[in-house]
Amino acid sequence: MKRLFVGTMGAAIAVALAACGSGSDAGSSSGPIEVGSWSPLSGPIAPSGTQTAAGAKAAFDEINAAGGIHGRKINFTTLDNAYDPQQTIQAARKLVGEKKVVAIVAANGTAPTAATFPFVLQQSKVPILFTYGGAAAWYTPPQAGLFGAQTLYEEQGKNIAEWAVSNGAKNIVVVHDDPKAFVNVADSVVAGATAKDSSVQVSKVAVKLSTTDYSPVVAQVKTKKPDAVVLIVPVPEAAAYLKQAKLQGVTAQTYGYAPDADPGLLKLAGDAAEGFHTLSLTKLPTDTSDPAVAAYVAALKKYATDQTPSFYSIYTYAGAKAFAKILEGIDGDITAESIGKAVESAGVIDTGLLPPLSFTSSQHLGTNEVIRLEVKNGAFAADGDFMAPSS
Amino acid sequence: MGEFVLSTLSGIASGAVYGLIGLGLVIIYRATDVVNFALAGMATGALFVASSALGWGWGLAAAIVLAILVSATGGVAVREVLIRPLGSGQLFTALVVTMGVALILDDVLLNVWGGQPRTFPPLIAGDVHIAGAAILYQQLVTVVVAAVAMLGVGYLFTRTPLGSAMRAVAESNDTAELLGVNPHRIARLAWALGMGLAAVGAVLAAPVTGLSIGGFQGALFFAFTGIFLGGLTSMTGAVVGGLVIGVLANWSASYVSANFRDTVVFAVAVAVLLVRPQGLFGQPTFDRV
Repeated sequence: MKRLFVGTMGAAIAVALAACGSGSDAGSSSGPIEVGSWSPLSGPIAPSGTQTAAGAKAAFDEINAAGGIHGRKINFTTLDNAYDPQQTIQAARKLVGEKKVVAIVAANGTAPTAATFPFVLQQSKVPILFTYGGAAAWYTPPQAGLFGAQTLYEEQGKNIAEWAVSNGAKNIVVVHDDPKAFVNVADSVVAGATAKDSSVQVSKVAVKLSTTDYSPVVAQVKTKKPDAVVLIVPVPEAAAYLKQAKLQGVTAQTYGYAPDADPGLLKLAGDAAEGFHTLSLTKLPTDTSDPAVAAYVAALKKYATDQTPSFYSIYTYAGAKAFAKILEGIDGDITAESIGKAVESAGVIDTGLLPPLSFTSSQHLGTNEVIRLEVKNGAFAADGDFMAPSS
Repeated sequence: MGEFVLSTLSGIASGAVYGLIGLGLVIIYRATDVVNFALAGMATGALFVASSALGWGWGLAAAIVLAILVSATGGVAVREVLIRPLGSGQLFTALVVTMGVALILDDVLLNVWGGQPRTFPPLIAGDVHIAGAAILYQQLVTVVVAAVAMLGVGYLFTRTPLGSAMRAVAESNDTAELLGVNPHRIARLAWALGMGLAAVGAVLAAPVTGLSIGGFQGALFFAFTGIFLGGLTSMTGAVVGGLVIGVLANWSASYVSANFRDTVVFAVAVAVLLVRPQGLFGQPTFDRV
C-alpha cells in the first residue's frame, strides 16, 4: 500500500513538474506552430480588444491560406483577459502550460501584459512580441524575450512638441489627465518643446481622468492665450475639449497623441475636430492607395468580416506579419528560444504598415517613429511618412 | 467674469442631470429599499435603442419617448424578475444584483451596438453668449426640462392619491398594505418613474458628453454624492445635492485645480455630513433597541 502511495505521488509530482515545465521546451520542427495572445474581449476596453484580436487573426489566417511558415500552419489562440492583470496571468498559464505556445504575439494591454512577465518571460522563457501597449521601463534595460513595435508615448510627446514648435507655436498649453502615465507624456511634451526652442513657453493644465464637462478647463486655457494646445487625454475627453474650445472661441491649433487618432474622435467632436493634429503608429488604415494597406483591408474583409479597418487592427495585423517574417528567417526548429535569437538578428523588418523595425541585443524596442496626421474634411490625412523626433 | 459665468451655468446644467439621476435613485430607494447601481447602464441602453431608432428614420421626439419607455420598462422588468424574488430587507443582496445587471448590460450593449461612441442630437442646436461665455442652448434646455420634471415629480408626490400611496409605502410597507395600498404595484411604478427620470437625464446629457458604454457612470457617481449630501431619503435633497455638486465641481476645477476637482467636492460633502449626518434635507433616523 505504502509502495503504491509513493508510486502514485511520484507520478503525480512528475506530471505536475511537466505541467510547470519551461516554455522554452515548446515548439518542434513539425506540426502547427502554436502562437498565443490576449485581448480584452469583454469589459469596458473590449471595443479596442476585439479589434486587436481580429487584426492578428486576419494576418495569421492569411499566412496560413498562403501555405504557412515553411509549410507549417500557425495555430493562433487569443484569450479574453478583460484588461484584468489576474485574468491575463490565467490566460498566460493556459497558453504556455496547455497550448505550449512558442510566443505571445500582438497582445493588448500594458498593465495586464506586464503582470505576466515573471511567469511568461522569466520563468517560462516564452517571448512576448509586438504588444499593443508598452512602457519605457519595458525596454530600458532590455529584457530577454520582450520586443516592441509601438513608439513610446514619451517619444510621441516629443514628436508632437516639435511639430507644434515647427508650426510656429511660442506659447503651448498641455492639457493632460492626472494619472502618472499621462503626466509622463505631458512632461515629454514640455521637454521636447524646450529642446527644440528654448524660448517657447510651455505650461500644463492637469485634469481629472474621465472629466466630461470641459468648460472650466477651456476657460483656464483661454486665460493663458496659447497658440498651441496639446491634449494628452483619452478620446472622449479630447472630443469634449475640442467641442468646448470651438464653442468658447479658442482658436489655438490643437494637437493630440496616437490614442486620439480614432474614428470615435471624429464622430464625437464632429466639425470641432477639423484641423486637429495627431499621430499614428501605423499607416492610415483607410488609405487603400498604399498596397500594404490594401492587403490589410482585403484580409480583414476576408477573415474578420465583422470588422472595419481601424488603427487597432492594422497595428496587430502588422505585428503578426512582422512575427511571420521573423519565423521565416529561422533555420531549424521554431522554439521560444530560436524566436528570441531570430528577432535580434533579423535586421530591418519592413511590414509596409509599421515603421521599419530593427532590433539588437541592446535595443528591444524596434522603432520610435510615427506618422503625423491632421483632420481634413472630417477624416484623418497623413502629413508625410514615418518620422522620429529629432531630440 | 466670463469664466465664472461659464463655470456656474455649465455646472448648473451638469448638476441638473445629476439631480434627475439622483431623484430616480431616491424614488426607487424609498419605495423598495434598493440602491440601483444599474441605473446609469440601463439608461445608457435605452439611449442606444433611441439612437438606433434615429438611424431607422424616427424623429427625435419619438426616439426620446422610446428611450424613456425602454428605460421604464427595463426598470420594471429588473424589479419583477430579479429584485422582487429576493424578498424584503435584502438591501445588500439587491445592491449586488444591480451591480451584476450593470456589468452584464455593458457586455450586452457592447455586443449589440459595438464599442464605438455615438453622438445624440440636442433638443435645440446652437448657443448663446451670456456675459462673455458661450452656453449651448442644450445646456439651458437641460436646466428647464430638469426643473419641469422635478416639479412634476414634486406635484405627483404631494398632490395626488398615487403620490400619497407612494409616500405611504416609503414610510412603511406593512402599514400601507393595511390601508389597501398594493406595495408591489407602487414598487413597479417607482422603478418605472425612477428609470424614466434617469433616461431623461441621459437624453439631456448625451448631446454634450456623447453616448458610449459606461459613459454615464461618472454622472451616477456624482448623483450618489449629491443624494448623500442632500439626504438619502429626500427628493428635494437629491435635486439640490446634484446641483450643488455640479456647480462645486466646476468651481473647484476653475479656481482650485481641475486635478483636485473630486478632492474638493468630496471634502465639502464630507464636511457637511460630519455636521449633518442626515444630509442637508434628510431626516435623522433612530433605531429602537
